[in-house]
Amino acid sequence: MSMIQMCKIAKIYPNGAPALHDIDIQIPSGDFVYITGSSGAGKSTLLRLLYCADRPTRGQILMGKRNITRLSPRKIAFLRRQIGFVFQDFKLLLNRTVLENVALPLQVQGVGNEETRARAFELLQYVGLEYKTQRKPLELSGGEQQRVAIARAMIVRPKLLLADEPTGNLDYCLALEIMDMFSRINREGTTVLVATHDKELIQQNPRRVIALKNGHMLSDSRPGPDIAATNTSTVKSREAL
Amino acid sequence: MKRLRYFIQRTVLSMIQSPLLSSATIGTIAVALMLLAFFTLIVLNVQNITQQWSRDIQVTVYLERVPSTTKLEQWQQEIDEHPMVENVTYISQKQAFERFRTRLGQNEDLLDGLLPEILPASFELSLAQEARNERGAEILVKELKKNPAFSNFRYGQDWLKRYDAFMFLLKLTGTLAGGFLIFATLFIISNTIKLTIYARRDELEIMTLIGATPMFIKIPFLAEGALQGIIGALLALGGCHALYYFFLKKGLSALLTTTTAGNISFLPLPMQLSVIFLGFLLGICGSMLPLRKFVRI
Repeated sequence: MSMIQMCKIAKIYPNGAPALHDIDIQIPSGDFVYITGSSGAGKSTLLRLLYCADRPTRGQILMGKRNITRLSPRKIAFLRRQIGFVFQDFKLLLNRTVLENVALPLQVQGVGNEETRARAFELLQYVGLEYKTQRKPLELSGGEQQRVAIARAMIVRPKLLLADEPTGNLDYCLALEIMDMFSRINREGTTVLVATHDKELIQQNPRRVIALKNGHMLSDSRPGPDIAATNTSTVKSREAL
Repeated sequence: MKRLRYFIQRTVLSMIQSPLLSSATIGTIAVALMLLAFFTLIVLNVQNITQQWSRDIQVTVYLERVPSTTKLEQWQQEIDEHPMVENVTYISQKQAFERFRTRLGQNEDLLDGLLPEILPASFELSLAQEARNERGAEILVKELKKNPAFSNFRYGQDWLKRYDAFMFLLKLTGTLAGGFLIFATLFIISNTIKLTIYARRDELEIMTLIGATPMFIKIPFLAEGALQGIIGALLALGGCHALYYFFLKKGLSALLTTTTAGNISFLPLPMQLSVIFLGFLLGICGSMLPLRKFVRI
């Protein structure tokens, strides 16, 4: 079953700058996908469309069986409760403790205090930060902050995890550690989409790769010894090339 | 109930967690409202003082001849029932003579050999609040002139003209300065709140990303704005009271006459409650506008 289906998606920003052109993507449930491309390729825009921070100028996006192209703010909020987010700049609340940051999504959903705290602690154990629950984000290293962000993303047991350049602010070892964590999350059944330009990282942990260039989809490929499984196709177009 | 507890907890915690931003907002509201409250206090007291002056406005009706007691009582009752008259007193020729003698003081012997009949009897009319101006006095005199026995009228026309001009200037200055002050207060407070919310825009963005509904995000911010507004208003009243006590009551008492200084009073309770309510409103409205801009899902 498709987790995400994007049909003929185009995005042009209000200032007239085109960001995406005719993107067709299908991502099955439980898949692990890298969205790759150089800066300005449209990776972040693609993710923004998936969590409804922007609306596509043309085309439709289905998440499960639901069309998310034109949702009301309230429905967007409820949709986001099923998605986990991890960003390059961690997006943690600096004036709250690690535990409070992780617990935040459940608080928003009105889950009881005890259950929230227990689940937050469980997630902090999962990312190996159970000894730093009362620290503030700025008292942690970059890798630790990103692990807090991952714990916060996972606390809602999301069906989909979106990560936008999650290793951009981390050194190579920490980046590998974070990618291992994403693989583990994926093995447990969560669909994972990681936007990154780091080819070395992709080579270390090869998965399906969707490559973008200037808003066009260049290729959609799967790794592995079985070449038949590799579906490399040049999708678009003269302008992109 | 769970939500309510979260909102209360969040409001208080967020003020504790961002002490600098909270103090800046509360401080700005306190200073701006204190200026406004102090200005209102001055205007109110000037109004009180001028109202006391206006009590001195009176119309004196001189009688051509002293009528019979029945007639006199009838006229006095007619005048007393007039809506523009607050009080009427009959001054007999003898009373007028005695009063004149008292006023002459050391020169009272000038009246030796003269009889009280040289002075006319009169009615002294103090005016109702709304008639205490030149126009009110003129209307009343015009109506009294219908009685031919009332020969002459005095109501301090020149003084009334000056009083009216002064009151007009006072109201104009009060309105202009008050309007400017209210505008400046609103501008300063709304901009300070806007800046504090701008400083926390990351928090707003994160809340939207983790699936908080717009109302869920806004309510703690609005409650925080309201609470800061109320605290600011209470501080403003405290500061205003200190200014009133040390500057107006103690400081000016040396410059003003004893009776006037005694009449300087602090803002009445309804006004104090209005200042608190204004702080509450400013806090909520000041937060609402930037939140509309920054909370975009």
